Order: sequence, then C-alpha cells, then structure tokens
Amino acid sequence: MLTLTSPRETPLHGWPAGVKLAGLCLFTLALFQLTAPLWLVGVAVALALGHLALGRDIAAAGFGLLRPLWPFALIVTVWHLILHDPSGGAVILLRMGSAVAAANLVTMTTRLSDMLAVLMRLVAPLSRLGLPGDRIALAVALVIRFIPVLSDRIALIRSAWFARSLRPPGWRLLVPAALAALDEAEHVAESLRARGGAG
Amino acid sequence: MERSLSHIALFAALIAVLGFVPQIMLPFGVPITAQSLGIMLCGTVLGAKRGALAVLLFLALVAIGLPLLSGGRGGLGVFASPTVGFLIGFPVAAFVAGLIVERSRASIGLAAGIGALVGGVIMLYAFGIPGLALMLDKTLPEAALMITAFLPGDLIKVVLAALITQGIARMRPDALLSRA
Amino acid sequence: MSGTQDQAGIELQGAGLTIRGRVILSDLTLTLTEARIGIVGRNGSGKTSLLRLIAGLVAATAGSVQVDGVDPARDRKTMLSRLGILFQNPDHQILMPTVAEELTFGLRQMGRADAETVARAALSAEGRSHWADQPVSTLSHGQKQWLCLMSVLLMNPATILLDEPFAALDLPTEARLTRRLAALPQRLITISHAPAAVASCDRVIWLECGRVRADGPATPVLAEFTEAMARLGADDADADLSA
Ligand SMILES: Nc1ncnc2c1ncn2[C@@H]1O[C@H](COP(=O)(O)OP(=O)(O)O)[C@@H](O)[C@H]1O
Ligand SMILES: [Mg+2]
Repeated sequence: MLTLTSPRETPLHGWPAGVKLAGLCLFTLALFQLTAPLWLVGVAVALALGHLALGRDIAAAGFGLLRPLWPFALIVTVWHLILHDPSGGAVILLRMGSAVAAANLVTMTTRLSDMLAVLMRLVAPLSRLGLPGDRIALAVALVIRFIPVLSDRIALIRSAWFARSLRPPGWRLLVPAALAALDEAEHVAESLRARGGAG
Repeated sequence: MERSLSHIALFAALIAVLGFVPQIMLPFGVPITAQSLGIMLCGTVLGAKRGALAVLLFLALVAIGLPLLSGGRGGLGVFASPTVGFLIGFPVAAFVAGLIVERSRASIGLAAGIGALVGGVIMLYAFGIPGLALMLDKTLPEAALMITAFLPGDLIKVVLAALITQGIARMRPDALLSRA
Repeated sequence: MSGTQDQAGIELQGAGLTIRGRVILSDLTLTLTEARIGIVGRNGSGKTSLLRLIAGLVAATAGSVQVDGVDPARDRKTMLSRLGILFQNPDHQILMPTVAEELTFGLRQMGRADAETVARAALSAEGRSHWADQPVSTLSHGQKQWLCLMSVLLMNPATILLDEPFAALDLPTEARLTRRLAALPQRLITISHAPAAVASCDRVIWLECGRVRADGPATPVLAEFTEAMARLGADDADADLSA
C-alpha cells in the first residue's frame, strides 16, 4: 500500500520512531509559545534547510504536503492585510507551516511498521479495558486488505451504472457502496470464525 | 465479536475509499466529498460505538502515514494543520449520530437525518471551530465565519446521509447494526 | 478429549437449519467417514449451507452436528485442527494484505510461534518465495485460490471442505488443482453443481431443496442426477425463472 514514507532511506529513518514523535510533540508545543516573527522565521528557515539536507526529493515531497494549506494561507493573509497587521499574520502563517512541515517530516522518515509499533505501544493500556492490541493489529491489517477490494467493488458498481445510464451516479453510488462494505464485513466475520480469528 | 471487528474494519476501509471516488457534483455545481458522508454513515449504519471505533481506526491509519484523507492527505501533518479540530470531531460525530439513531423511535430516515445533523454538523463544528480558532489565533466567531461557506454543503450531506441510510434499510433491513 | 477413535467422522442427526422462518436444510441424518465425498445439487439447493453447518459457521436449529464427537459451532478452538474450509470465493476468505501474512494468520490463531518460518518454508517449497510480501490484490483468481488452499493446508486439518473449488478456474488451473487435491491425505468434502468434479469420489450426496435426494456410490447417483438435470434443462418452463 502506498504510504507517505520516503522509500529512500535517510539518516532520520534510523532514529527510533518514539524519539521522533516525542521530539515532534516538544517542538510543536514550543512553537506555539513563540510569538516573535524573527524567531519563527529562523525556525522555518532551519526546517527548510533540514529538508534540503536530507535530499531534494524529501524537500519536494515536504513542499507538496504543505499545498493543502493554501486556502488558510490565503484567508489569513487577506484578513491581516485588511486589519493592517502583517506581522500578526506572518506569525500565524509561519507557525502553521512549520508545525505541519515538522509533522510531515516525521511521517516521511518513519516506516509504516515502526509507526504501527508505536501505535501498539500507545494502545497497550487499552487491553485492560478489553481491547487487546492484537485485535487492533488485526483491524489495521483488515483495513489495508479491504481498501483495494472495496475500491474495485465501487468501480464495478460505477461501470454497472454507466452501462445503463447516461448520467453519473452521484450520491446514489453510496447506497451500493455501503452495502458492499456490509457484505464484505459478513464474509470477513465468517472467514475469521472459520480460521479462529478474533474468537 | 467477529462481526463487530469486521464491520469496524470494513467501514474504516469504506471511509478511505470514499476519499478516492470523484467528488460528487450537486445539481447547482457544488462539489462535495463523499468522505465526510462516510463518517456520518458510520454512525447511522453501525451505531454509536462501532461507528466511532471505525472512524478512530481510520484516523489511526492516517496518522501512521497512509494518505487516506480526501485529496490524498495524510500523515502527522494533518493533525498539526488548522483543520485538526474537525479530525478530532469525526469520531464524536459518528458516535452522536449513531446514538441518536439507536435511541430514536422515529423512522430510520428521519432518525438518520437528525443524527447526521446533530452529530455530523453541530458536534463536528463544536470541535472544528475551536480548533481553527486555536490554530489560526482567531476568536470563535471569527473562526466560525471562516467556515460558513461549508454550511450549505454540510446541510445537503445531512439530507443525503438520511436518504442513503434509508436506502440501506430498505434493501437490507437486518444489516443496520444501529437498529439491530 | 471427546474426539475418540469410535467417534471419528462427521455425524449429522436430524440436522436442520431455519433462518428467519425460512427452512434451508431439514432432516439430514448422515455419517460421513469416506475419504472423498462429493455433494451435488442445483443452485440454491443448500450445498453451501450444509458446508457451513458442518464447519460450525452456523449452528443447527434442529438436530445435532458432531465432528469427531465435538459440536463444531461450539468448540471453535478444536475445530481449527479438525476442519478447514475453502470458500467458494477466495476474496471472501483472504483476510490479510500480503501473501505471507495470510499464510501465517491461521497458524498464529493456533498459537504457533513458528508461523512465519513455516509459511516462508511452504512458499519456498512451492517455488514461490518471491510472493511472500506481495499484496494479495495483485494475485489472479486461481492464485488467490491456491493461497487459500495453502493457508488451510498449513493448519493441517483432518478434513477439508471445498465449496465449488473449480467454479471460476480456467482449464489448466482446474487440472492442476484437481491433481493437487487428489494427492492430499486429508478427507475432502467437495461441493459442486458439476457432476464431473465429484465423479471420482467414494460417495456422492445429492441435495434437493435442503434434503438428501440420493446418497451412495458416485456412478449411480451422478447418473440419476445428470439425467434429472438434463430433463429440467429441456423444459422451457423453469420454475426458477417464471416464479
Ligand atoms: N443467511 C441466509 N439467509 C437467508 N437465506 C439464506 C441464507 N443463506 C442461504 N440462504 C438460502 O438458502 C438456500 C440455499 O442456499 P445455498 O446453501 O447457498 O445453496 P447452494 O450453495 O446449493 O447454491 C438459498 O435459497 C439461499 O437463498
Ligand atoms: Mg453455494
């Protein structure tokens, strides 16, 4: 399955995922304490240089991951220009960009399996509430297995629709799509029962 | 037990897949993403507990680095972005929508509509707006103003969630765990 | 352990299955001990339901079902080593995202610590080591079915239930699977709507409307079945289509 982790190993890939995540938490908390624009510019520049030091591909991917922020950047820019408070706007934008970029950097340099291991450690205390970790691991595997299956089912439903209609299915597609998920769930429950899972 | 687990996993997968399907065009040219409808359906179809767990499972997969949010977004960055409040609100939205469908005696369509409105809009905004205010350093009314543009689309989703849940109930009455 | 030698085999005593008021199977009394058993019948005659009943995936609503003296719907743990089932559609059976994970799944459920080693060894014995980390979604239908069979075989059950194993396979794949199954030491119970698929069985059971219509050696039962099906096919007014 496609992940956001960079397939090319960088030095950061070797760091323990727990350390990276703890560092990210501290970084983000500190970031929200900073109010001086110059400091924030420094942080942003450092982050950008850090990305570039890891490689052009990491920097480009990191930049791409910031793209969904543009509507907020636009709103904040216009808002603060109207209020004649450009430095206030700059603080918000730099903070937002740095927080997201740092988080994405951890994602890009941590393998899915390592992240999953951290997740398992985080949810381990839940086993006392009757939610054992292996159940969660199984659920995660099932989701990864069934995303392509459901995707194919929905593509089939679409083509069945277009075979007999000129208009796109629109929201109506969601009824058979949800029914497909419900059907698959029954099959999975049966297969789990046949093979001793989740008993 | 197996059925709970499999329904939770399959609906988490459904939310993900609904992030890839092309945006749904409403008659007057307003595009809506099917993914947030999926969140509402988790509640109205699976019920409060399973619905919320399906959404949590989905978010866990996003957090560990799978680009499953609509538009191919994912990873830890989305939890540091201004919309984080909405992500936190997702499981709550599904829970509340499910609770309303479970408890209500109204017809399934009406109950799902009310559930989607209270859970998928009111509760979701109750988390999303403060998140936005915090991340963008705005007051609550200012943050609310920023997202008013989404309100009409979200209200349409409420109607669609009601229609879809009703459609499922009609085609497969015993599949609705929220009313089982 | 209740599975003593004299109870070895599958025993149905007046077993029936009714779902939401609809009678699906009724009055089945069978003792299954042969090594190769075939079950034939028309679509909807209850073949799959019977398999699910034997496998313990549903509990009988009337009578009793025992596998080696154990109720398969109750004692799931014991059943894992007694019964394996190959679903008609491999996509309904495969639970894990990659081939190796799928192969190890059942072994882990049985508490085997060496699951990973066993699975990889099995793959390499089949000359398919390179499949281990491949996503199952990249496999063809026949390959998926092979994976399901391997997953079941690794758990080494005494009996394997097969639901229309050849239904969606092309001819070469069918021939390979037939050879493979014939060589297995396990007891096989094979469902099919096609008489040829069960012609070499020691015993064939013909189901009709959830009841046993005929039961005995393959040749006479299949001859009678084939003749009845041909007669129905010649008749234009199919009750199924006109009802
Ligand atoms: N879970 C179920 N609920 C209701 N009816 C069912 C269920 N499973 C099977 N049936 C019905 O029982 C009959 C036998 O089905 P099945 O065992 O699948 O037949 P076969 O495998 O011989 O084609 C069919 O009419 C089918 O519609
Ligand atoms: Mg069948």
